[in-house]
Amino acid sequence: MKNAWRVAAFDIAAPLAAICALLGIGVVLSWPRWWVATCSVLVLLIVQGVAVNVWLWRRDSVTVGTDDDAPALRFAVVGLCAVAVVSAVLTGYTHWTLPDRRLKADSVEVVRIATGMAEATATFSPQEPTASIDRAAAMMVPEQATAFTQNFGKAIADLAQRHVTATASTLEAGVEAIGPSAAAVAVVLRATQNTPGQPPDNAVLALHITLTKHSDHWLVLDVSPINAR
Amino acid sequence: MPDDGDEAAEPDEFDGPAISGYGVASAALGALSVAAIALAAVIWVVHRSDVDDRGYQSRIMQVAVDWTSVLINMNTGNVTASLQRLHDGTVGELNADFDSTMHPYQQVVQRLQSTSHGQVEAVAVEAVRHDLDAQPGGPRPPQAEQLPASVASRTDSVMVVATSISENVGGKPQTVHWNLRLGVSDVDGKLMISRLESIR
Repeated sequence: MKNAWRVAAFDIAAPLAAICALLGIGVVLSWPRWWVATCSVLVLLIVQGVAVNVWLWRRDSVTVGTDDDAPALRFAVVGLCAVAVVSAVLTGYTHWTLPDRRLKADSVEVVRIATGMAEATATFSPQEPTASIDRAAAMMVPEQATAFTQNFGKAIADLAQRHVTATASTLEAGVEAIGPSAAAVAVVLRATQNTPGQPPDNAVLALHITLTKHSDHWLVLDVSPINAR
Repeated sequence: MPDDGDEAAEPDEFDGPAISGYGVASAALGALSVAAIALAAVIWVVHRSDVDDRGYQSRIMQVAVDWTSVLINMNTGNVTASLQRLHDGTVGELNADFDSTMHPYQQVVQRLQSTSHGQVEAVAVEAVRHDLDAQPGGPRPPQAEQLPASVASRTDSVMVVATSISENVGGKPQTVHWNLRLGVSDVDGKLMISRLESIR
């Protein structure tokens, strides 16, 4: 039949694609109540339109797709279908693709910050006693940074007095858990302390670092040894 | 919507000239719809694989935790059963050399006559690794990291930090810190431990 493809495209595929797009939006949004309502109304309207179309076809043997006098109507049908499908794509992009990408980028970012933080907390040089602690504090949430600097103040004074040099390098690090605005990273590092006149002292430290996202930047909330027991 | 060139055929039919404008527009929208559907498929596939990947990572972390729990809770009383369970969960070289790898652990347990209670403190899929003992420019360690593709479809490294407290007979409790690096391999959908090393 000559008009078969027009029937297939305008009378069958277009409404079907629109309905699928509406359902797809529901899947992406995980069916919130407002979309359940909106979607049912829209799908019902489409089904009604199709029903009317079928009825007209039975009566006049002409459908939206095959009616040569109604190009505008066909254009409207295709337009509505395109709007539905494009909306579905945009919804999927903003609710799936963007968050997925952000999560991947964040995973890399938090590990980078956490290893830097861990190394800074375990690094000390008598020449610049506060350098690494300031570097660490700069990576922290402002409220925590003050407490952190105070806590480490005493330890620093002690180390400076004994002329101890401490260095640390990351052995392993990985993300324990991550969400859109919070993350926990485990870092295992090797810390070496050099005290004048004594052999260097190596130790493996495991640190647990929690981070939080403040206005698009990850900041360290807390650093604690993992096996403190 | 698999539609295009709708009204391109239109002028052949008896209806006339006014149609082509709508026809072109409909065709364009139809093509847009088709492109959008293709894009939607891509978005769906990528998202599925991301979700599956995250699920897989939690599963390998769980497997690593379960296996480590058995290891760090090994006591004189359950050493045989524990070793059997540990052995059953391994694959590849670790499975083949299981006895020699585990011998030191077993000896310690037997000698100490201790009851130990272990607890996994942290687990994470390895994101960064620096082999500090590797000589720069020296021969790289053999790539024993991955199992051959015929055995396992993929192998991931998981770091596990655990603590166990051993109460020796007549001694004072001793705390042992474990910083372990496990290789978890997917063998026909079953997750097995293929590597065990200590992070030092």
